[in-house]
Amino acid sequence: MTKLTPILAGIFSLALPVAVPAHHSFVVHYVGERIISVTGVVEEFRFRNPHGIIFVNGTSSDGNSGSWKIETNSPNILRRRGWTDKSISPGDEVIIEGYPARDGSNAMRIFRVRFADGSEMIGQRPSADNE
Amino acid sequence: MMKFFSQFLGGALLLATGPGSTVAWAQPDDFISRWSGFWSVRFDRAPSGAALLDELPDDVVLIDDAGGGELAAGEYAGLKLSDEALDAIRDYDYAEELLPENACRAPSVAFYMQAPFPMEIYAGRDLIIFRMEYFDLVRIIFMDGRAHPPADALHTLSGHSVGRWEGNALVVETTHIVPGTFMNNGFDHSADLRLIERFLVSEDGSTLSATQVYEDAATFEGRAARYMSWSKRAGEYVLSYDCDPNYGG
Repeated sequence: MTKLTPILAGIFSLALPVAVPAHHSFVVHYVGERIISVTGVVEEFRFRNPHGIIFVNGTSSDGNSGSWKIETNSPNILRRRGWTDKSISPGDEVIIEGYPARDGSNAMRIFRVRFADGSEMIGQRPSADNE
Repeated sequence: MMKFFSQFLGGALLLATGPGSTVAWAQPDDFISRWSGFWSVRFDRAPSGAALLDELPDDVVLIDDAGGGELAAGEYAGLKLSDEALDAIRDYDYAEELLPENACRAPSVAFYMQAPFPMEIYAGRDLIIFRMEYFDLVRIIFMDGRAHPPADALHTLSGHSVGRWEGNALVVETTHIVPGTFMNNGFDHSADLRLIERFLVSEDGSTLSATQVYEDAATFEGRAARYMSWSKRAGEYVLSYDCDPNYGG
């Protein structure tokens, strides 16, 4: 019986619902129905799955200044739209529009980035390709 | 090249694991070229797969989040969840999703098929392989008539899949799926989940459609389903995902 207990417990636990942390959802962490913008200078650009990250020192359209952490959708999706790891560089002056974090922090998911020369790149359009 | 690869896969599988009973091979000569290749997710419901939707039983709850849609916290597509599943959701901490140790936690086949990433299919007589871009996952569909392994066999993200042909439709039954997210909002399926998929390529070969029907009495009542579509694109290929858990740190 003693030997059977852990075996039975293992089988039983497989069948029970569990709460396993998952790769984060867009809609749970960001407000998809609202777009804000951040104007500032790029400090760092990372282009790795599951998400790219743009660190910007700037001010949001809501008036929040400081360091912003702006997440892109998957670099794989963006590569097919022409993005590369050289698309954004430290020192670039940018206006980035995106979806604000639900927790109110200086973070958002990108919609698009506009550069000083007037060019722009699309990240995640409203209600599409959330990864 | 694709034909050789598919035949090789079939032979390799027979040697490695042994087939079940012999299965009649009744697919047309262009089967391999029709099914094999690069398939890009569509964000609409391809009309060519309407027959699959029509075949869904009336009592099935359709989860409308495929191709990049997502359900918010507390939304479960109208499914009636079990008390145990609701308890698990109450204990779920969304903040933990943002930790590096969870950033590259891949979902199971009950969720990853609906993600907005492409896949490559390599179709053979005895074996069909789905190479998913999302998290570099791979599915193997056994077409040689074998049965599922014993209930206590290893559970994995892709589970154990056996397929058969019903007319032009590929029907796949999958079990032995490790528990994981079902709607990416704190609601997980259990290890008892049974998955039935029906895949159909359009007459012109340009569109692949599929339904997934789920049964998991441990987490919800009745049955649920998703509908998915892909477009074939020549000359494209799946990219490595190579997830970096420290992408944001």
